[in-house]
Amino acid sequence: MRRRIFSLGIPAVSALFAQPSQAGPTEAEPADRSLRRAILQADFELSKFQPLSRILFYDDFDNGLNGWAELQANHNGNLDDLRPAMRDMRPPQLSNCGFFDIGGHGSLNGTYALKLATRPRPFHTAAAIKRLTYAQPSLVQFEMYFSYKSEQTFGPARAWDGNVSPSEMDFGDFTISNDVCAGQGGPRYMCALRYWNTDLNGKLVRKWTYKTSLHTTTKMSRSGLELQSIDYHVRNVTDWADVPGGSQALCYNELATKINWHYLRWVFDTRERRNTELQVNELVMDLRSVPVLVYDQPYYSINHLLNFVLDVRTHTGVRNFLFVDSVLVSMEP
Amino acid sequence: MVRRSFTAVIEKNTTWTADFETEPYEAGWASEARWFIRVLALEGGEPSVAVVPQISPDGLFWCDEGREPVVISQPGLYSFALRDFGHWLRLRVMVRGKKPSVKVLIYLALKE
Repeated sequence: MRRRIFSLGIPAVSALFAQPSQAGPTEAEPADRSLRRAILQADFELSKFQPLSRILFYDDFDNGLNGWAELQANHNGNLDDLRPAMRDMRPPQLSNCGFFDIGGHGSLNGTYALKLATRPRPFHTAAAIKRLTYAQPSLVQFEMYFSYKSEQTFGPARAWDGNVSPSEMDFGDFTISNDVCAGQGGPRYMCALRYWNTDLNGKLVRKWTYKTSLHTTTKMSRSGLELQSIDYHVRNVTDWADVPGGSQALCYNELATKINWHYLRWVFDTRERRNTELQVNELVMDLRSVPVLVYDQPYYSINHLLNFVLDVRTHTGVRNFLFVDSVLVSMEP
Repeated sequence: MVRRSFTAVIEKNTTWTADFETEPYEAGWASEARWFIRVLALEGGEPSVAVVPQISPDGLFWCDEGREPVVISQPGLYSFALRDFGHWLRLRVMVRGKKPSVKVLIYLALKE
């Protein structure tokens, strides 16, 4: 595993300055911003991101899991009490993106990526979470380089034209989400954005959606409000709506064993309790009209919670994987 | 820098009544691995489990690591270590007895 060296301390220094812009130095741009922009653009690791003025964390998975842990439901010491939808969300892995045909693929920068892997069971979900709190309401921007794959299978040959991989039909969906508590005990809300590769009927749909019902918390579940156990984000499995302009064919690239990295940038606003924008490669989606549901009951001991969650869900009996090379989260007060 | 380490919970209060293999886990970054098998309950007629570590180059095709099986016939915590294992690890568990049932927590402790 690579030990990260901070040459001249540049990455750490760069975090102190303002957001880079495409414009060159101008009279209107303070010197500190100009210097920050120059430092970011010269930093071979950070220049592939567009951080806001304060970098909260930068996770290069060549340096370990960086606090991304298995998502788990609440319990009181007895793991038999875990909600069925969240009792087995699998430990995250550090993967060299290796495959049976080419061996090690490696990550975008370096060797290792974060890997979430489902079980080979229909609608099984693997999820990882990173937990913070926040010091002040702000814009929050989550950026990552990711790839998604279904596991290679060796069953009876399916129709194949040499280009379109049948394995692409084995990939279900992946989701980015948060869990935020805006104050003392509430209001609590969660934003969730899901990319459906295939829908619940196995049809290739390739689109971004947002959820239209609340995640069933353990508190709600113990009150008898749990309806299903195959989609932990929502009350009913169909509670998802299309993001306007959110149709997007990502680059699966023909095989179950080719990794092509995608750029994702998601902005949400903890001042206004809403999503702001989602960019995935060339597609930028305005999310300001996407409704964000707020829990009507208070939650004790989660004051100023700020959690980030990644998950992947298979729809079939084939393992699905989400690979993440690196994550950068920044904020703009 | 201190040596990196990670503990993965591979099975969590899972009950098995027949032979099983654990999910594949990548551990290429680690030079040391130690399995912990915490048997919470072992029921049936003369129940026991035999645990065999397996290794794989790709997470798809597996072979036994080569050591003798660890045979467990009572609840408790059991452990063994591995080195030089390549990149993928899992356990193959044989469940024996009359209508046997075994409930387990399985940990994989990894160290750089």
